[in-house]
Order: sequence, then structure tokens, then C-alpha cells
Amino acid sequence: MEQIDAGGSTTVAASTSEDSSLDPIARVRKLLFRQMLVGIKDGRFFLGSFHCIDKQGNIILQDTVEYRSIRRSSPSPTEQRCLGMILIPASCRTSCHVDCSIEEQLSLIQLKE
Amino acid sequence: MVKEPDREIALNCSGKCPAPDTINRQNPSIQGDLEEESSSIDQEPRSCGDNSVWAHVSPLLSAACSDLNEGELIHGDNFNLFAAMSALEIMDPKMDSGMVSTFYSIDEAIESGFAPVPISSDRTVDVQCIIDIMDHLLACEATWHMGHSLAQTVFSCIYVLRPERTSSHALLHSFCRVIRATCRALVSVVSDARTNEEEDLFTMTYGLPFNGDEDGKGLLLLNAVEETICRQLRACKATSSKRRVFEELEPLQTNPQLEEGFCKALLCRIRFRKHFLHALNCMRRPQGRGLELARKHIAYCIAELESVLSSVEFLSLETVENGKNEMEESTTGSGRHPIGFDPNLNKRLSAPTPPRAIKLLSWKKAIDYYVKLLHNLDQICAFKLEPDLDAVLQFVVQFQKSRPDLVARAHLQLLLVQDGKLYGRDTFLTICARSLALDVTKNHGLHLNEYILQLNQLMINLLKILCANTPWQRRKLGKILNDWSIFNVQMGITVGHMMQQVTTPRTPKNGDKSALILNHIYGWLEEQIHWVALRFLVLGFDLKLYSPSEYCMVYWYMYIILWKLAEKAHFRVLIIVHTEERKAKEEDYSRDMAREDRISLWVLLLKCQTSLAQGLTVMIAALRNEGMCSKSQGPFNTENEKFVQHFGLLQKASLPKYDAYESFSESTCHARLDYLPVYECFRDAQKMAKEIKVGYANDPDKLAEVVGLEQVAEHNIIAVNLLCQDRCLKVSFEFIHHPHFATAVLQEKWLWSQMGLVSQEPALFATSIKENILSGKKDATIDDVVEAAKASDAHTFISQLPNVYE
Repeated sequence: MEQIDAGGSTTVAASTSEDSSLDPIARVRKLLFRQMLVGIKDGRFFLGSFHCIDKQGNIILQDTVEYRSIRRSSPSPTEQRCLGMILIPASCRTSCHVDCSIEEQLSLIQLKE
Repeated sequence: MVKEPDREIALNCSGKCPAPDTINRQNPSIQGDLEEESSSIDQEPRSCGDNSVWAHVSPLLSAACSDLNEGELIHGDNFNLFAAMSALEIMDPKMDSGMVSTFYSIDEAIESGFAPVPISSDRTVDVQCIIDIMDHLLACEATWHMGHSLAQTVFSCIYVLRPERTSSHALLHSFCRVIRATCRALVSVVSDARTNEEEDLFTMTYGLPFNGDEDGKGLLLLNAVEETICRQLRACKATSSKRRVFEELEPLQTNPQLEEGFCKALLCRIRFRKHFLHALNCMRRPQGRGLELARKHIAYCIAELESVLSSVEFLSLETVENGKNEMEESTTGSGRHPIGFDPNLNKRLSAPTPPRAIKLLSWKKAIDYYVKLLHNLDQICAFKLEPDLDAVLQFVVQFQKSRPDLVARAHLQLLLVQDGKLYGRDTFLTICARSLALDVTKNHGLHLNEYILQLNQLMINLLKILCANTPWQRRKLGKILNDWSIFNVQMGITVGHMMQQVTTPRTPKNGDKSALILNHIYGWLEEQIHWVALRFLVLGFDLKLYSPSEYCMVYWYMYIILWKLAEKAHFRVLIIVHTEERKAKEEDYSRDMAREDRISLWVLLLKCQTSLAQGLTVMIAALRNEGMCSKSQGPFNTENEKFVQHFGLLQKASLPKYDAYESFSESTCHARLDYLPVYECFRDAQKMAKEIKVGYANDPDKLAEVVGLEQVAEHNIIAVNLLCQDRCLKVSFEFIHHPHFATAVLQEKWLWSQMGLVSQEPALFATSIKENILSGKKDATIDDVVEAAKASDAHTFISQLPNVYE
């Protein structure tokens, strides 16, 4: 069992070099409370603040807004509604994006390799 | 990191997330704001500042996930597992209402030709389909009335959702408009009356296109359509010589053999709609002015419903044999599935979670429902709107006997209470004074008296509660009893002071007169409190809240309340006679004999019921004391506790003022079968019932009730006689003759004395199941019987039998 000091997990401002040195869990921890955009299989998108993730990759978002297109054919206008707290199972998640600054983004990509 | 082993959703970690460009392909509306290779979606500029981008984090997440230990979570400080458990799970069909069903949206459904206008280019098929839609809408509407949401029922029809689309199709268009107008009328009635507290889905219209002002024109259009179809019907019936006249008229559809049948089927449906809306509109007129007209429309409605029913024969001719069962379940007269309905269209409107799937009433049941509704509405319209509180209360009680549904109850309530006045016409002060034959026309400033104002409010509340459904009504009545009794005590003190002041100086002033009136009203108030208490007790029988072992205490309490009520009502008769005689002397005032007689009859009825309740109390107590009837002692609570459970609310309102349980156990513990008063009570009741019967000769409802009371008394006298001779008889109490007063039913005991011998025989003996089980334990109650049956897994089987345990 891994114990990571969660001290100031909410601090957003983190330097690039620091970020890449951390392990993935610590980095994900830094993403908590940020706006996250999750796309799912049926074409809907959910925008909410990142609240929690488990080992299986299920994500919980808070204050979520659902965006969906009105028609199956594209392009089509979207409609939205508020959902509050939702759980997105990993099995239906197709994409996941986080709102961040350009520098941060670079660090995130670096880490991927 | 905190370890949370609880929340683990058994889902596999999805391996690699799709590359960024896949996302853009899937949803081109999201413009890729590409920086380098990463995908950054700029769909939400609001949340994404100038210097920020959407970074693709799926790989990071999956890396983190694989590093996580089993049962670990990544979360912030404010994480609360309990709150997280309430998160809606996306793609779970029971939680996620946004899941794509057949159609993405109503527009898409329309574009895909799900609800074409006209429905078919073949006009015969078109007419057929329209009739199906009409029938299905009727079933939807009835289901809505039974407490489901509009969005899932009537508004599951695309034609109703988008009426402007159908404007080229006069028949469909006008019909849908009228449906919408009807729904609107009903929603406004029910939400005004607020009887919907118990069925709160009824008035939910959020997100539905409910503001179309054009719906008002629906009736005009429908009239025009009706006229055309009438002519078409005449044309197809006309002989060839006359046919020329109609030649320019286009027939309804193309098949001349079916023309007459279709015309008739359409006409009765259209007319039903028309008259129903008219009736509702008439009933909403203030002060009940439209009731007479409404009654006519209701009569038409009932007649048209009959022709709708008889049109089935013609309509179901062509449908393939579906088997009888399916026809019974069908929501249309013809048995076909209607076009243009999808209950999932509005599911995103109702709540974040999808509503439960509902089962629509079948078409036949919907018609039955409408017949009942119309009869209930007719009952309301036939009410004479007398400014007499006794009449109103008795009417409401009578009305509630048929268990009317929400719509009818809402209409009654709106009729009774308008603008804080009875029928929007009479203030409660005048009503109250009238029932005491007092004159309040001269302004004593009474209507500003704080007690009168409070009384007004109490009366309004009472009437509203009486229009609620029975369980709700009983609960609320129990609660308002307390308000009434507090008010009663306060008023008693004030009136007492006033009367003292009045009696000392002997000068008749205006103030004295109002004090006198207040004093009378104070007495009348006590009568009303007892009436409410009685209603509370009686509703317990309607709701089957009392078990047979508790009948003794229930009848004892009813006896106490009835006795007091009869006494108060009797006082009132005296007051009325007194004041009216005085008036008659003074100014040749004609006495209102009819009303006086009515009240004295009512007093007699109350006395008759009092004796019956007393007789039953003594009889059951005697049986109990002699061990022929089980004592009300369960394993869980004592008799005293049961007493408090049932009558706690009454005791809180100090009805009666002494310790009720003590007095109950004292008065019943010495009862014996050979104790004379048992006969006396029943004989008195019988005698009084005979007298009352004459008085109620021209009121069938009342007469039936009195006959019931008489029979109860008669049968119980016989029962007591038999019991005195043969103490081995088995007694049970049934409501054969009257819904609230039980009749003793005797059974020979030898049956179950033999049972002991044959108990090993597997076949159930040819008597009741109750006795079969009772044979093992002689002092078992019905509750014990059910317990025993449950223990042996026979309960479910037994409850399906026609006579249950009997």
C-alpha cells in the first residue's frame, strides 16, 4: 500500500520540472478540482470538476453539465443540462481532458512517454 | 492517501484511450484547437481561459490507475464516500436519463418520419390511425389522472407536443389542441385546489410546451370538423336520389363500405372530447353558476362514451386475431399500436434520473375510469349548494364513499371553498349563524372578531381536508383536532368573561347581542369538534386500521364521541326552536320547519348509532371477559399502548377530558353476557332506526344506512340470545350490514372440536382456513393465524384464494 503525502493536493501552480519528477498518482492528485471534460461512447460530453478516481478508472465529477447533440447526424446543435455529481464508468469513457495552462500541458505530455 | 475499499465499481480499466483525433472525428462540433500534437478542445471557452488549453490526460490517468492499489482512491480533502455514493452513474439505464433511446430528440424523431402528417397517404388508413391515436390518448390521460406525470403519458405523443406541425390536418390538429386545453384546465384546477399533495406528479409541467394560447381555438376547429364529418355521414347514408346534393362533398375516406362506421367512430370520440372540455369549463365558473350546464355536458359525455365503447366491434373487425388477452390489455379500441408515441421522448425533462417505466391503463379500463369520473362530477354538479353546513358535511362524506379520484375531489374542493367563502358566496359566519338560526345580518362587527376570523380559517381547512383522499384525510383530521381544541379553550374563556359582563347590567346593547351569538357559536364549535373526531374514528374502519381484537376499544371510543355529539346537536335543536319561536311571536316569522326536522332526525340517527356502539362495546367486552373472544393482547404491546396508538390524537385534543383508558377498562371489565344492557342498547337502536326510517323515506342513501343499522341491531340481538344459551359458539365480527358497525357471526364449535382428530389429514377440511389453523390453538386471533400461515409458507397461497382465510 502506497502512502503519499497529500499535503497541498489542490495547488495548481506547479513548475514543469517538479511535475515530471513526480509519479503518476501524485500528478493526478494535482488535477483534482480542475475542470475536466469527459467524452463517452454515445457521443455525450460531461464537464465538471474532477472529484475522484479509483483503481478501475471510474471517475466522479462534481457540478457536471451534460452536453449532447440534438441529432444523430452531424453537425448538429448541442443541448445541455445540469446533472450535479456523476460517476462515469471507465468502460464507457472515450476521452478525458483537463483544463490547464500551456506549460502544464507540456509537462503532462512529457510524462506520457 | 486514504484507502477506500468500499467503492469499487467492478469495471475493467479500459486499456488505451483513443487518440485525440478520434475524438474530433466522433464529434466534429468540438473544434480542435490543436497545439502541437495534443488535442485541446475549445468547446467551452468560458471554462477555458486565454492561457489555458484542454490537455489530454487519459494516458496519465491510466498510468495512475495501474499504479493504484486495489481499493485505493485519488480524491481531495472534501471527499465524502457517503455523498459520492449518491452520484448518478452514467450509462446505467436506471440512473442516466440522458442515455440515447430510440431518438436523440423530438426533432430527430419527426425528421425520421416517426410521426408523419398526414399519417398515411391512403385516407382510409389515415382515419384508422387517427382513431387509434385518439384511443391511446384517452388511455394516456386516464393514466395521468391516476397519478403519473404528463410527460410520460399525454405528452408522449409527438402530435400533442408539436401541434403546429399538424395545422394542415384539421382533424388531428383540432383534436390535439383540445387535448392540450383539457390538460391545462385540469392542471389549473388541481393546482388551485392543492388536493394534489398526495399525487404531486399530476401538476408537473416543467419543460412541456404548455403555454400555447392557440389551444383555446381548438374547440372552434373541432366544431367545424365535427360539422364536416356529420355531413359526410349523412351523405353516405343518403339514398341515390339525394346523393346529388352531397356530390361536391368529399367523403371522409376512400372505402365506401367503411365510410359510415368510420364517421360514427370519429364523431363519438370528437363529441366526447368537446363535451368533456365544456363540462370542465362550466364547472370552473365562480360560485357554481355553471353547474347546471356542466351537468348537461356530463350527460352527453357519458352517452358518447357508450358509443365509443360500441364502436369497438367495427374497429376491431380488421385487426388480426390477437387473442382475447391482448385485446384486453390494448390501449386502443382496435387493438393496434398507435403511431407517434414514445414515452422516452421527454424523459430528460423530468429529473436527472429517468422516471420509472409506467404501464398505461388499457383502453377499456380508461373508459371505466372516465365513467366513474363523470359520475362523480355529476354528483358534484347535482349538489344544491345549500348554505347549510350540515348539508355540506354530509354531502362530502357521502361523496367520499365512492372513493373518487383526484380530479373529481379537486373540483369539489374548488366548488366548496372559493375566495375564503363557502361556494364563494357565503361567509362562514353566516353559515354558522344559520345553523343556529341566529340573525347576523345586522352588523355587530362580528365579522371582524378575531375568533370569527380564526373560525373561518379552521372551517376552510376542514373542508379542504375532507376533500383529500381517505388516508391523507384521516391523518390531517387527527392533526387539526388539536388546533380546534386549543381554539375551543381560548374561545371558551373569552366568551365566559363576556357572558358575565352581559348578565350583570340588564341593558340590551349591540355588544350583548354579539356576546350571545358568540356564546352560541362556542357551543356549536364543540359539536363540530366531536363531528371531526367521529369522522376520524370512522375513517379507521374504511382504511381497515383496526384489528378485530381492538373493536371493543374502538366502539367504546365511538360511543363516547357519539354520545357527546348527539348531546351537542340536541342542544342546538333546542336553541333553534327557542329562537325561532321567539321570532315567530315577534314578527310573524315563518319557522323553518324542514330544517329543524332534519336536524332532529340527525340527532335521532346519532342516538341510534350511540346505542349501537354502546351495545357492541358491552357485547365484545362480555365475550372477552368470558373467554369466548380473544383479548387484545399481542406479544409486542399492551392494550394500553394500542389504545394510545389509535386514539393518542383524540386524547391530545382532550376528547374526552378524563383519562380515557382508565375509564374504558373500568367500564368494560365487569361486562357479562347475561348483563341486561346489551339487549337494551340494541333494542333501543332498533326502535330508533324504525322511527328514523320514516323520516328518511325520500332519501335513498340515508335510508340504506338506517336499514343497515337496524339490521346490525337485529342480528346482534339474536346473536346475544344464542350466545347466552350456548357458550360454545364461536363468534367473529363482520361488516355485512353496515361499513362501520359490525355484526356478530356465529359458528358451530363442533366443527373445530373434530378438527383436532383429523389434523393429520393433508386435505383441508371443508371449512375455513382460519379455522383449520385455529384448530391447533384455541385462543388464536386472526393475526396469529396469519403468522402461523406465513411460518408454513401458506400465506401467499391462501391470500390468493377468493375468501382468503374464511
